[in-house]
Formats: sequence, C-alpha cells, structure tokens
Amino acid sequence: MKPTGLIFFPAFDWAISPTHPEREERLLYTRDQIFEEGIMDLPQIREYKPRMAEKKDIARVHFCVPDVDAQITEAHLVSAGSSLVIADAVMQGEVKNGFALVRPPGHHAMTVAHGNRGFCNINNEAIMVEYLRKKYGLRKIAIVDTDVHHGDGTQEIFWHDPDILFISFHQDGRTLYPGTGFIEELGGPLAHGSTINIPLPPRTTDMGIHYVLDNLVLPILDEFKPELIVNSAGQDNHYSDPLANMCFSAQGYAILNSKLAPDIAVLEGGYSVETALPYVNMGIIMAMAGIDYSNLREPDYSPTRFKESPGNMEYIKKLVATQLANFRQREEVISRNRKEYKRMYTNYKSIFYDTDGIHEEQSTQLRMCEHCAGYRIIESSAQHPRWGLNRVFCLSVPTYGCPECQKEAERLYEDMTSSRSKYNYVYLQDKVKDVYKSMESALSLETVL
Amino acid sequence: MLIGIDVGGTFTDGVLFDGQAVVTSVKHPTDKQNLKTTLLKVLDDLLTVSTGGGISRIVFSTTLVTNLLATESGDNTALLLLPGPGLPLDTYHLFEHTFFLKGSIDFRGRELEAIDKTEVEKAVGAIKGRGIKKIAVVGKFSNRNSSQEQEVRKIIMKRDPQMEVAIGCETAGQLNFLRRIVTTYYSVMTQSAWEDFAREIEKALAERGIQTAVDVLKADGGTMPLQISRSKPCETVFSGPAASTMGAIALTMNPKNSVVLDIGGTTVDISLLIDGHPLYASKGATIQGHYTHINAFSVRSIPLGGDSPINIDQGNIHVESKRRGAAACFGGDYPTVTDVFNQKYQLGIGQPLKSTKKLTKLIKDTGIDMETLCKAVEDIVFNRIQEAIQKMFTEWENEPAYRVWEVVHGRKFNVQEIIGIGAASKAIVPGLAQRMQIKCRIPEYAAVANALGACVARPTLALKVHIDTQNKVFSIDQDGLSGSISAGRSFQMKDAKELAQHHLMEIAKSRGMEQYAGEAEFYLEEQFNVIRGWETAGKIFDIGVQISPGFIKEYQGVSR
Repeated sequence: MKPTGLIFFPAFDWAISPTHPEREERLLYTRDQIFEEGIMDLPQIREYKPRMAEKKDIARVHFCVPDVDAQITEAHLVSAGSSLVIADAVMQGEVKNGFALVRPPGHHAMTVAHGNRGFCNINNEAIMVEYLRKKYGLRKIAIVDTDVHHGDGTQEIFWHDPDILFISFHQDGRTLYPGTGFIEELGGPLAHGSTINIPLPPRTTDMGIHYVLDNLVLPILDEFKPELIVNSAGQDNHYSDPLANMCFSAQGYAILNSKLAPDIAVLEGGYSVETALPYVNMGIIMAMAGIDYSNLREPDYSPTRFKESPGNMEYIKKLVATQLANFRQREEVISRNRKEYKRMYTNYKSIFYDTDGIHEEQSTQLRMCEHCAGYRIIESSAQHPRWGLNRVFCLSVPTYGCPECQKEAERLYEDMTSSRSKYNYVYLQDKVKDVYKSMESALSLETVL
Repeated sequence: MLIGIDVGGTFTDGVLFDGQAVVTSVKHPTDKQNLKTTLLKVLDDLLTVSTGGGISRIVFSTTLVTNLLATESGDNTALLLLPGPGLPLDTYHLFEHTFFLKGSIDFRGRELEAIDKTEVEKAVGAIKGRGIKKIAVVGKFSNRNSSQEQEVRKIIMKRDPQMEVAIGCETAGQLNFLRRIVTTYYSVMTQSAWEDFAREIEKALAERGIQTAVDVLKADGGTMPLQISRSKPCETVFSGPAASTMGAIALTMNPKNSVVLDIGGTTVDISLLIDGHPLYASKGATIQGHYTHINAFSVRSIPLGGDSPINIDQGNIHVESKRRGAAACFGGDYPTVTDVFNQKYQLGIGQPLKSTKKLTKLIKDTGIDMETLCKAVEDIVFNRIQEAIQKMFTEWENEPAYRVWEVVHGRKFNVQEIIGIGAASKAIVPGLAQRMQIKCRIPEYAAVANALGACVARPTLALKVHIDTQNKVFSIDQDGLSGSISAGRSFQMKDAKELAQHHLMEIAKSRGMEQYAGEAEFYLEEQFNVIRGWETAGKIFDIGVQISPGFIKEYQGVSR
C-alpha cells in the first residue's frame, strides 16, 4: 500500500499580527502532538518538503492588484507551493493521497485580489486545481469545503466553471462570516448546480454533518464522477472553536475523511489551537493514511456530550433534499439559461475585505459561449486604505476555452491597452495558452508571466 | 600522551599521540566474543611504546552495544507504557513484553488521566511472573511532565526493590514517544552488560597502574566519561563511523563542505561535512529498523570495499560484496577491487605483480582484455559510490522545513572536496574525485583516522529547554530535569537563553566537562506568544544549546 503524503508547514515565523488568530502559535500544539505521536516515523506516512509556488501559478487564478508581489508574502508562496508538492506526489503515484497541513489559508481569496479578506490573500486550492489541470490535463475536479466558514473565495473563482464541483457546508451565513453560502447560490448561468451550499444551523453536531455527507455530498460526488477530490479542510466546525458555534468532533472529522476519501486535503481555518487542532489534524492524517483512529479523542470529549435536536435534523433533511434536487436539475437549468440570456450575461456585486478594510465594486460579464464555459470580463474598482483607488479591467479565458473566446479576449486586451483608458491596470489571463499579461496604463508597462 | 582505540567489527585500531604526531599505531583483528581482550591487547601494545611518557587521556569507541542490539542478546526487558489517546496501541507494541497502563499527559504537561496504582502493581506481578527483572516505563508527553513516570517507578520499587527501572524522560526527553520507547527499552536492555564491561576496563586499567580518566566515544562524535556512560549505554552505538568522521576532520582541519569516504575492506562509509560540521541523521540513530533519540552522524554504508572480490560470470563482470580474504597484492587468493586499481594506475600497493597475476588468470579465456576489465570494475565502483553520495545530497536538500526562511533560502550541497580515509581510500578516492571533478585529500594516517578521531574528540552536550511562562514551568530533554520559573509575563528570550545556559553549565559540571561549557552555542531560539481571547497569556520558548563536536583544546592538528 502506498503511503499518505504529508507536508507540515506551520510557518513558525509568520503571522498577520502578533495577537491575530492567524499567528505563529496556531500549529504549535499540532506540532507537539504529531511529533510526539511519532506518526511521521510510520511507513504509512511520507513527509515532503514545502516549496514556493511560482508567480505564474498564482496568475493562473488571480488578478492580483497591482501585481502578484503586492498581494503576497513569501509565506503565501510556500503555503500555495506546498499544495503543489502534494499534488505532484499524488499525480506521480508516489503516494495514495496527501495532506498539505499548511498556513496561511486561502479559501476566502477571490479571483480579483485587492488585499486580504478572511485571513486569506491567495487561494491555495484554486491555485492547485488550475495547476493540476495545466500540468496533468485533469478536467473534472470536486472541492469539498469542510471549513465552518463559507468558502466564498473558492466558490467565486469556479462560479462559472461547470467542470469544478464546489460543495461547501458551513455554519449558516446569517450567523457567521462571510455571510454568504446560501442554498440559492448554485453557480453561474453555464455552470448552474456545480456550486452546492449547505448552510447549517449553529450547534450542528457529528450526526447532522454526517447526514449531509451520507445523503448529499457522497451521492452528488458519485453522480458527478470527478477525476480528483479535494478537501478544503478547515477545522473550525469543532465544538471548541472560538470563532464559530458548531459541535463537530475530532472523531467526526476523521470519519468524514474516511468516507470522503479525498485525494488531497489542504488545511484551511481552525483557531481552537489547543483543544481542537492537535486532535483534528491527527484525525485527518490517520483517516487518510488508513490508520485506526478509534483511540483518538479530545481530552474533554465524550460521545454523549452533544446531541442533535430533532428540529435541527428535520431542517437538515429538508436542506439536503432541496440541494439534491437542485444538483440533479442542473443540465435542464443550463439549457434554459442559454436560451434566456443574450450574448453576454452581466452581474454586479460589492465585496468587503474585512482584514484589510477594502471596499470593492465589481461587474462581471460572461460570454454565453456555445462551445466552452465562456470568457469573462471583470471590471473592478477598490478603495484601498493605503494605495487609494484602483480601477482594473480583467479578461479571463477558461482552461478549456474555445478558440473564439480566446481570440475575442485577446482582441479586447489589445484594444484596451492600445489607447488611454480609465483603468489603472488591464489584465489578460489566457489559461489555454497559459500566458498572463498585465499592463500598467500610466507607464504603458506590460508584464508577461 | 593520548591514546585512542576504535574497536571495530573486523579490526581494532589504536594510536598513541603525543599532541603533535602519531607516535605509533596498532591494528589487531577484533575477537568478537571478547571485545575486552582485544581492546586491552591494543592498549598494552601502545603502552609498551609509551614507556616513560605519562598518559593524559584514553578514549575508546566500541561496538559492544551495537552487537548486543544487533544480536538481540541484551537482558529480557519489559515495557510499561502510558500512551493515552492518539495512535492505536499496536503502533507502540514494538517489543514482546509490553504492557499498557492508564495515565495520560498532554502537550502542555497537563494530566488528562491519572494512573491506576492497582493496575501498575498487577503489571509488575505479571512481569515478575515472566522472570523479567528490568522495566522501562515510558509515557507520552512525559518530557513535558514526568510525574506519572516517576510515580509508576515508585510503585514498582516499593513492590519489588530488586527491579531495575528506567523512565523515558530521563533517557530520551525529546518529542517523539515512539523513539522514546525504543531508546529507553534498548538502554535498559544493554545497561548491565555495558556496566560489566566498564567495570572490567576500569579494573584492567587499575592493574596497569593507570589513573587517567577514561572517556568513551558517542554516536554524536563527542566523548563522555566512562562513569557517566554507565547510565547511557545506547549513546555508544555507531561510535565507529563517528570516530572515522571525527578523524577525517582532525586530519584535515577546517574542512568546508566535504564528503568523507571511509573505505575499508568490505564497506564504504559515507558521511557529509557541512561548513566543517558533521551532518546528523535527522531521525536519530536507526537501530534494528527503529528510529531512536540517539544523536548520530548521518552515515550511508555500501557493501563495497578494497577487498570486494571481482568475478566474471558468462562474460559479465561483477564486483561481489562478500569478502573472500585479502587482496591478491596482500597475498589473497582472489583478485579484488584494490588489485584492479593497483593494476590500472600502477599504484605499487603490496606486491603489484600478484595483482597482475590473479587478474590475468581471471580474464583468461573470457575474451575480455585487461583494459576492459579494469575500466568496467572502476565504473561499477565509482557509480555505486557516486550514486550513494548523490542520494545523501538529495535527502539533505529535501529535509522538511517548518519556517518560511528555511524554504525561501533552500539548500544545495556544494561539495568542495572529498576526504578519503580507511585502508583502501588511497586506491579508489583519487580516481573518483577526478571523475567528479572535485579536489580530494587523503591525509597521512588516513588508515588510523578512526583511532585518532576518538583520541582527540572533545566532550559534547546538547540540550533543549522548553519553557512555558503561562504555566511557569520548564523542562529539559536531558536527565529528566524540570522546574518552575518565578517570573511570568516579564520573562523574555534573554531570560530563556540564560536559563538554558545555566543548566548546560550545571550538567557539564556534573559530567566533568565544564571547561568546554564556554564553547556552547545556541542552535534553536523559538518563541511563541500564547494568546487567549486576544490577550497575551504567556510565552512558550524552545531553546537549544549545545557543545558541538570538536577537539580537545590541546589538539592543534597533526604537525609532524
């Protein structure tokens, strides 16, 4: 049996600020626990060294404003790069699956990155998914986000991509950051049903979450038939997490990973540094490596401690039935959308960056393409507390985009960059060619990655 | 006058060193059944030459413990484990007489579950029933709080004062319960054999009128007094390769990034020097397939040496790994690797004509000419050594890293030279270095580098201090030391380092090595803010301080 690949990267020399939840101490006790257990000495585990991601890996997903360097620290490159190391190890058959136990996290980072939101600058999973597609030619990938917060960044990045199934269960957005992830959020007009949200009531227990897993997540995965499953493995559904209000246990997380059997897991949130993380991380590693975890438990855990209320269970059952139906109707809705919308579909939104205090206004236009997922035009302006107002114009051609979309996007980029425009920066993200251009208007300075 | 003796698997080497030059060296085959006799024979030979000069230091390294462990001939030992929650218990069931007890500690040293006295007593009864007189008691996180291990020991001793008991925190206080189990178990298992050996050596020295303190070489390339070694027998494993590496450094003085090749009759031992410092095995010494907490050099052994026989089988040229005797040029029956190099480069080793004769006989009627044979053998030897060296570089470069700084700055082994030691290095190393386009050095006395290395190595001591200012406690990974600190929030990195330095001094004093305490360096300085509810509740420090491998003050290199 092949081992499980593991990168443990606690970034012991990086923090958002000294007292921030995303600080050096976050994985200290996890370090203690996994080192003391000696789990890395076992033949079932193979430990890998982290590496830095390339700027191009990031440009494949994000429009970083003004550029990649401005949005990241070296820690972000290492965290994203570690996921790529694990991806390579899995794809090259060195390991049966892998876990990037890394920080800083990424699942709140969206396509356009003006700053840090929800402790995230760049999206580790999305960067890994696009890397997997480019390097190994994968197409259909499922991302299951088990963080207590809605994975709004990952959702937004793949919103228009029918080949990426994004499933997120989380504490209801009416009660927790980022305030999104409702059942109506099902994906763009050409990717309807490949985004599935399960907003759970506060205090949902192992029982509730496993009901969702058994009756919604696993059946959907079965029908979608992804080539690869990624677990966006946040650990803040835990009953002791200080930033959320759920009642999930280390055993619950371990069983979840046994059932889900992700090819790759990437750590996201989880801020109960002493009472949850050491045990939940052990549980995920053990489950992925096929090690019996029946002896694993938190010091204050007892199986009878939390009980799902009948009312909650009723609510969850209804939720599951609705979402299962939504998923199964996806093709029908997509063909209806094709008739209903004209050549371009337009959508407006505003985004708040809680960590950096940035307000962004954004419009997205999607080409309703008959042959591919369609290229996108994103116009965004953001008021940054230090850099002032930035207006950017972004063009994105999907990985499996058609020649027509590619050509049209390229032509638009030429038009936008050949004359003076109101935008500070113009970007072209051509994922087919794997070429990423940006033009700083004031200096007529073009950068190509 | 200094004496260094390395009792190896096949040969025992000894040198008499006057501080500047090797006065004499001695080599005897090792009597595996009686290491003491061999050691004393070499010692007596050296003493005969030294008449008149006083002996100021004797250091030896020996394979005694290594052999005991390899042949599993140590004493019957039981394990009492306090694993608490976590990995399944069968992970820790590595040895036959293993008992699992209640009791559990967490990473902050908090007791999660108390021990059960009756259960301990019952286990001791069962152990006694099996005729076992030695027990290793090891708890998960006992390095953060040793009270449960101490308590279990107390219960055992009360019930049966004859029992020999060792506890994990006193033997191996670093993080890693698995390795702590193995290290403590093997220590208990080999302790009385090692003590007997130490006693006999002390007695033999007294009989010869030698008052000098005797030191033993450890796997980490440092020495410890024989007296201190009684409770730490396992630290003497793999001291042979450590002696050789220390010898290579001693003979070249100030090597930078080097590969040390110790080429003997049947093996090539490869070790690496980085900025002149020997590279350690990242997971400790591996004994019988188990990782341990014993600090040891990273050494890769390949079964290939000067005495490896050459064979031609159906037109295919082979280098065999099983020794069939000495090289032909030294009167052996079979042509060997040494003979091939002797022939190819006209090295004039031993009686070169005998090399030629045996090789000529070997290729007769095979259709292979001498040039082809020599080239083929050389390629096989070089390729195998080069491959092994490359693997070591790659492994080192790919060691996990836990800090941004380490990943950003990467690691690349830029080798500057090869240092060849051991009897067969003269034949093989120059050609290999030429092929790799690297300088090489084969120092004088390369054949007895191991004994010289032992003779001039200084004591080493490494300790890691874990300080928790929220709980006002600290623990040290040596000898089970722990205590409390009075200062709470005012405790800073400076205080943490002072605390570590203080304890290094105290331990150095107790081991008679305080004169080297001034050489100690900090190798780890980590601090974490403990934040609870947006407030700083304390700090956690991990401080590492060590007297690293080096040489005794009077050693300034071999000048004559």
